[in-house]
Amino acid sequence: MYGSLDISTSGLVANRVRLETISTNILNQDTILDAQGQYAPFQRRIAILAAGDPASGSSQGVHVSHIEVARDALVPRLEPDSPFADEEGMVWYPDINPVVEQMNAMEAMRAYEANIAVVEGTKSMISAALELLA
Amino acid sequence: MTDPIGLIHDPTAIAPKLPGHSVAPGKGVPGGFQQELLDQLKTQISQVNQLQQDADKATEDLAAGRRDDLEGVMIATEKADTAFKLLLSLRNKMMDAYDEVKQIRV
Repeated sequence: MYGSLDISTSGLVANRVRLETISTNILNQDTILDAQGQYAPFQRRIAILAAGDPASGSSQGVHVSHIEVARDALVPRLEPDSPFADEEGMVWYPDINPVVEQMNAMEAMRAYEANIAVVEGTKSMISAALELLA
Repeated sequence: MTDPIGLIHDPTAIAPKLPGHSVAPGKGVPGGFQQELLDQLKTQISQVNQLQQDADKATEDLAAGRRDDLEGVMIATEKADTAFKLLLSLRNKMMDAYDEVKQIRV
């Protein structure tokens, strides 16, 4: 009876993590330093979803297997005055397109909402079944 | 999974034991069916109680910041709520049946 609720929960959690990853990308689109203040342009993160739900040990459901870091996802900008410019006067910035990230965020939000709709459906099925007794 | 009267896992669990019908060994004693039903009920009540405690703990952990999955907490609460409603419906149904029996004139 609670199987579909658990499956929907795993979908909700996975999509929340996905949205968190996307928000990290959006807010770090101009980040060129790491936490220690060293020059290390932020690289785009991608949440990779995988089947199965290790949290409940079920083969059904979904989970985030890992957060992939996009390699070499950098674009140069001509800023010769910047202390971080290379010998050609280029500073490398994260290759993050806010429009693409917004679209991905909307997709994750819609997927989350779809899971909510499934939970609501399951709830109304359960309460409809309880009506049989009443 | 909560299955308060064992209807799903064991359909024979509450099947009426009619006289003359063969019954499983150890279940043919007088009062065996009532005892069985009582045991089933006790088990199910403790399961519902467990779900309620899980939901309480989940809410507490969320408030204290020990966990951050709001979805899991909401679903735990929903499970506890549903299980309790089912148990309550069963109790009401039983009380209805008891009232009906009380009305019988001898």
